[in-house]
Amino acid sequence: MIEFHNVTKRFEGGYEALSNVSLKLDEGHMAFITGHSGAGKSTLLKIIALIEKPTRGQALLNRVNLNTMPRRRVPYIRRNIGIIFQDHQLLFDRNVFDNVSLPLHIQGYRPQEIAKRTRAALDKVGLLHKEKSLPITLSGGEQQRVGIARAVVHKPMLLLADEPTGNLDPELSREIMQIFVDFNQVGVTVLVASHDLDLIDDLDKPRITLNRGKLILNDLEDIAQEADGGWQ
Amino acid sequence: MAGSNIRRKKLATSNRISAYLLHHLQSLMFSLRKIYAAPATTIMTVAVIGITLSLPGGFYLFLKNIDAISGDFRSSSQISLFLDLELSEKQARALDKKISKMELVDSTRFISRDKSLEEFRQDSGFGKSIDTLSSNPLPHTIIVEPGEADTFAVRNLLNSLQAMPEVKIAKLDTEWLERLYTIIEIARRSVVIITVLFSCAVLLIIGNTIRLDIQNRYQEIIVTKLIGATDAFIRRPFLYGGVWYGLLGGIISWLIVEIGYLAISGPLGRLNLLYKSDMNLITFSFHDFIILITSSTLLGLAGSWIAVARHLNQIEPT
Ligand SMILES: Nc1ncnc2c1ncn2[C@@H]1O[C@H](COP(=O)(O)OP(=O)(O)OP(=O)(O)O)[C@@H](O)[C@H]1O
Ligand SMILES: [Mg+2]
Repeated sequence: MIEFHNVTKRFEGGYEALSNVSLKLDEGHMAFITGHSGAGKSTLLKIIALIEKPTRGQALLNRVNLNTMPRRRVPYIRRNIGIIFQDHQLLFDRNVFDNVSLPLHIQGYRPQEIAKRTRAALDKVGLLHKEKSLPITLSGGEQQRVGIARAVVHKPMLLLADEPTGNLDPELSREIMQIFVDFNQVGVTVLVASHDLDLIDDLDKPRITLNRGKLILNDLEDIAQEADGGWQ
Repeated sequence: MAGSNIRRKKLATSNRISAYLLHHLQSLMFSLRKIYAAPATTIMTVAVIGITLSLPGGFYLFLKNIDAISGDFRSSSQISLFLDLELSEKQARALDKKISKMELVDSTRFISRDKSLEEFRQDSGFGKSIDTLSSNPLPHTIIVEPGEADTFAVRNLLNSLQAMPEVKIAKLDTEWLERLYTIIEIARRSVVIITVLFSCAVLLIIGNTIRLDIQNRYQEIIVTKLIGATDAFIRRPFLYGGVWYGLLGGIISWLIVEIGYLAISGPLGRLNLLYKSDMNLITFSFHDFIILITSSTLLGLAGSWIAVARHLNQIEPT
């Protein structure tokens, strides 16, 4: 599903957030990205979500080259992805229901279908009783769960989560990670960036570790050699 | 199997179309709700647009009235024939008859020397001094109404009348008419210039309002882009916003002009009474109204389109 071949991302100013990263995550699998703060975890996820473009190397999603993706096709690619952001990215001028149903509106679902799916997603994260609340009135963990509901409401093939348990207590963190595992069990490919090592250890899933943009540990199928010299 | 597939595809397409229409409707309602939610901003913007458009609108109406009045003049261009003083009244009346049968002539009116003097005595107020004149200095006069308003035909008629030996002077007073036409032409071009300039102003006003609107909804644009909204989807509510501004601004400008003309029509009525004239102010016809509203709406759409094209693409999530 996701393939990186010698991907380097250099930001303006010359800082290399990712250096020569090669990895492969198959469809239906789940993995964690770990690493210190500033290691490049968010940058890696942003390349998959077409928010950033690699400076060098190739990033593929479902065998489609993301480097050369024309602008007008970007929205349609993103519709297959559910993204949970490090900073929830909720809209504070509308209630929980309207936040969660936004992807369905964008994709042109009918109102009855929107209501049905939105309530199902809210139920999944245990927030059905808060559908009329404004996000500002919710706790940090509840806001995070609204973000998760919005990311899964349109049943994406791929779920990207950036520090989904950021400031949550261990109990809630465990619950949220369990939600991701549940999604993975029904076939969704899941990639989670997190530095909550204790929690990751418990879950027994493959891990990718970044250090200053370099891949220092890769539990996934190693494609670095095979790509040697071939990809540039 | 294949048949059911096709049916499913058709259903999906019709679903998609109705979803598309639904989003248009939602964008429309959304932009309306926004107007309703921020009435002060909307009223200000719409008022500025209305006032701006009322200027070319009012000017256009003014021109239309002048045009109508000058049209009356055009159809009443007469030729006055002052006959030779030696001519007897009988000879003069015979000439009048002859002229009235001419091809290009619609009708004639004969005014005898005595009658001319009588009219002059009454109108001028020089009654007493005229009485002291030993002989009547005024000639017999024939007023000729040309059959056609066409300037060329009237000129031809004038020349052939002038050529008659009995006619001392044939006079067609068109100079002031031509001057009036020139002034109207100048006014007409001024209206065009004013309309172009003020339309540009409206374009800028709406463009700027929409630009601010885009800035205010920066976060929302980012988030919707991140979850897969197309540019068209994001653009739509802003374009509808511009359409509303244009439409409402057009209606306001129409109201302003109508009220202005109502204010003028009072004194005009008195003028009509005084001069026993029958001048009627022309206001916007239904046709004019439709053109005004349509063009202001299109201006709104164009203004918001410019703002959207310039600013929406620059907003990208990072
Ligand atoms: N838009 C940008 N312009 C310049 N530098 C950037 C930009 N985005 C990220 N960086 C830099 O790239 C490096 C990696 O950033 P990234 O956000 O991927 O780290 P991270 O692993 O997600 O860290 P954290 O755990 O704190 O979220 C950082 O040093 C950061 O300063
Ligand atoms: Mg990060």
